[in-house]
Amino acid sequence: MAKRTDIPFFQDPSRLFLPWISMLMIFIASLTLAGGLTAYRSLSYWNKNVSGSITVQIPVVDEQGKSRSEDVQSDIEKALTILRTNPGVLGARVLENNQMRRLMTPWLGEHADIETLPLPQVIDVTIDTQSPPNIQELNTELIQQVPFAILDSHRVWLDSLIIMADGLMKLTVFILLLLMITTAFTVSYSARTSLTMHKQVISLVHMMGANDGYIAWQYAIRILKLTLIGGFLGLILSIPVIFGVAYFFKTIAGDFNCCIDSILLATLIGTPFVFALLAFLSTLKTVLTSLKRMI
Amino acid sequence: MLNETKLSASVAEFNGVSLRYETGPEVLKDIQFTLQPGSFHFMTGESGAGKSSLLRMLYLDLLPTRGRVRLFGHAVDSLSRTAKARLRRQIGVVFQDFRLLDHLTAFDNVALPLRIAGVRENEIRRHVSEMLAWVGLEKQMKILPPQLSGGEKQRVAIARAVINRPRILLADEPTGNVDDTMAKRLLHLFLELNKLGTTVVIATHNQPLIKHFGFPQLHLDHGHLQLIQPTNKYADMASKLFKRGDNNG
Ligand SMILES: Nc1ncnc2c1ncn2[C@@H]1O[C@H](COP(=O)(O)OP(=O)(O)OP(=O)(O)O)[C@@H](O)[C@H]1O
Ligand SMILES: [Mg+2]
Repeated sequence: MAKRTDIPFFQDPSRLFLPWISMLMIFIASLTLAGGLTAYRSLSYWNKNVSGSITVQIPVVDEQGKSRSEDVQSDIEKALTILRTNPGVLGARVLENNQMRRLMTPWLGEHADIETLPLPQVIDVTIDTQSPPNIQELNTELIQQVPFAILDSHRVWLDSLIIMADGLMKLTVFILLLLMITTAFTVSYSARTSLTMHKQVISLVHMMGANDGYIAWQYAIRILKLTLIGGFLGLILSIPVIFGVAYFFKTIAGDFNCCIDSILLATLIGTPFVFALLAFLSTLKTVLTSLKRMI
Repeated sequence: MLNETKLSASVAEFNGVSLRYETGPEVLKDIQFTLQPGSFHFMTGESGAGKSSLLRMLYLDLLPTRGRVRLFGHAVDSLSRTAKARLRRQIGVVFQDFRLLDHLTAFDNVALPLRIAGVRENEIRRHVSEMLAWVGLEKQMKILPPQLSGGEKQRVAIARAVINRPRILLADEPTGNVDDTMAKRLLHLFLELNKLGTTVVIATHNQPLIKHFGFPQLHLDHGHLQLIQPTNKYADMASKLFKRGDNNG
């Protein structure tokens, strides 16, 4: 038997408009979620794996290129003392020449005679990842006593990245909220328009003893269907874009900790359902309230 | 419990009821009458006398501007939305302008009250087919109202009003678009329903029909209501006969 609804919804312009809107909403929501989630998870990965290493360099030549070899040893001693007395530091040691050589190989080649080069002395510092030192304070303290010391910390840029990730997460949540509010308003508005349009039919259905819930349910079910259809179209459209971006990142950043796994996919697949449920509830509420005002 | 005692009282009760539309003149003035369960009335009066308006108050579409209306024992002005909906499911209405849903087939139009009442689909299919066959529309079941003749639309409207076996049937000019034979056939449908206990009020201009069936008339004249008892002896007997059948059933 043909699909039958008491209210002639097929006359509503919203039957095309609503799937389109929810397609767009889910498309944007998917990209936002994929971006936000990936940024957040990459950063927590870096946080765990990178945060343990900071280095302090003691240059062996000054700005003019004059050797300052007599000061280097005392600088190292001072720096080590400062580092080792900091509660956030687990250990600090000067890198041996062969370790240095290994580090420099990519730039200088296997057989470079690094003893003759003015390479800085490097102190490798292991920090307590549970309660890391305040890098800024540590840096200030070092510079005061060892003006030539250069604190090189992944922490410094990691901290800014963490701030950025936090910002990204907040932005993601903000955009999602915005999309949800827009969805709720859009379906509510279209429901009210439709109620006005079908006022006669609705008053007749009322006259035959229909409760407000009977009418609201028909509206809500219709919206649920339309937003689910649109939502899954949006999801399907977003998947190749997300894969494309992920592929792009993999290409430019080799072992970049990325991206598409079951958690992300489950989140993406869940999104149309969440939006459709929201649209469903918003419609139900709108129709129930409007009917009381209408008749 | 409360409903049961109220039920045994009257179906409808108008007490000093007046009606005016917005700032217009009073269309109905100091209306006073009671409809007993199982009664059958015609409603007469010239065009514009207020028949449709009185019926609208009976099917809870209008509230009186003055006076009190009680329906199945409930004061209509103090009904909640849900209570109103529940009462309306026990009222069958044939509108003067049919008010069929143009996007639904004749079948689905007739099925509407059953669907609203939550009746199961297989039962709906059986009832509705039977009813449409009774009003001679078994071939038009799948047709949309715009493709039906005036008389066919009227029969769909009647089928829809009676499908739910309402406690009260209000028909506004239900035979205006059919020939005499069909008019009588439709009136017999109302009589069948009446025998099963439904209270019936039919607004009509059709004097021969009124004479033929001889039920009392609620006559409206310049907004005033007056009850006219049938004079025709034969009709009087017929109406008593129906009343007795009603009591037995
Ligand atoms: N919605 C309305 N707004 C204002 N006036 C109305 C409205 N409906 C009816 N009237 C007026 O109320 C009076 C009674 O109208 P009503 O429709 O009840 O008459 P009726 O007896 O059913 O007439 P008919 O036999 O032609 O159907 C008329 O004067 C009409 O103009
Ligand atoms: Mg009328």
